[in-house]
Amino acid sequence: MIGIGDGLKPVTDAVAQLGPAGGHVPHDERIGEVYLSAEEIATRVAELGAEIAADYEGREPLLVASLKASFVFLADLTRAIPILHHLDFVELAGYTSDETGGTPAIRFLKDLDVPLLGRDVVIVEDVVDTGLTLNYLVRNFTLRSPGSLAAVTLLDRPYRRLVDDLPVRYVGFTVPDEFFVGYGFDVDERHRNLPDLHVLRASG
Amino acid sequence: MPSETPDFQAYRGTEPPVFQNEAELECAKILDYYGVPWLYEPRTFELEVDEDGRVLEAFAPDFYLPEQDLYLEITVMKQSLVTRKNRKLRKLKERYPDVNIKLFYKRDIERLGQRYGLKLAS
Repeated sequence: MIGIGDGLKPVTDAVAQLGPAGGHVPHDERIGEVYLSAEEIATRVAELGAEIAADYEGREPLLVASLKASFVFLADLTRAIPILHHLDFVELAGYTSDETGGTPAIRFLKDLDVPLLGRDVVIVEDVVDTGLTLNYLVRNFTLRSPGSLAAVTLLDRPYRRLVDDLPVRYVGFTVPDEFFVGYGFDVDERHRNLPDLHVLRASG
Repeated sequence: MPSETPDFQAYRGTEPPVFQNEAELECAKILDYYGVPWLYEPRTFELEVDEDGRVLEAFAPDFYLPEQDLYLEITVMKQSLVTRKNRKLRKLKERYPDVNIKLFYKRDIERLGQRYGLKLAS
């Protein structure tokens, strides 16, 4: 069996509650227990922000978030980085498997607004598992000659990696092989606004 | 067996691949989507050979990614039911310690689908 490593918070130990204290979670049977509370996430994001600030002091890095799921993480992370930095966004076209006569190729729906030449770039990801998406961004951005390239991810599943040798320098949480919803993660484009990260239950 | 075989861009083999199931086809499409070069069942590994040199057990992983030097075995079974495949993988790793191989679960494909709107035919 391919292990998922030690120190991982198992889903079974997750806080058995729905939503933050006093908060309201819309009724949707797919929303499971809280895996990471808003408070736990905030604590870790503050630590990541401090690490990034220390590493990039005086360098004014460019944080590039890949839409959509990372927008909540980025919103919190940028406010946790007490040094000058810039923000930009990319969005990749959705994969569809029902096209015939050929296979779709990954492409930008929204590309960067600024050139990367000589910039210290930090890619902000919601989750890295196979590494295929991050690998594409790294390969693409490398061609634009940045000064440096690193990545920060809220969630990481290193045991699912197909592409190694990725510049994942900052990791929020190493998580088990589950689906999640809330804190930017959606199910059918809903529930990105939930403050906590919930386990996504399989639907009927 | 899948009904369609698209024109793959990142496929590096010579003969058109013949997939055994929809999950293999979807995996090929995903690799193609990301522009990751791939081969389909390019090598069969001997796992057990008798005294006369006859092959008793062999294993041909589904995909090989030359840039990653990585073999991929796709499984559509639940992760709790892949004991037999895991046993083969263990054997392969024992006999060929320099070979990198990973299991790619249906869940991995579904997860990419969750992120990018992929709908599996099931």
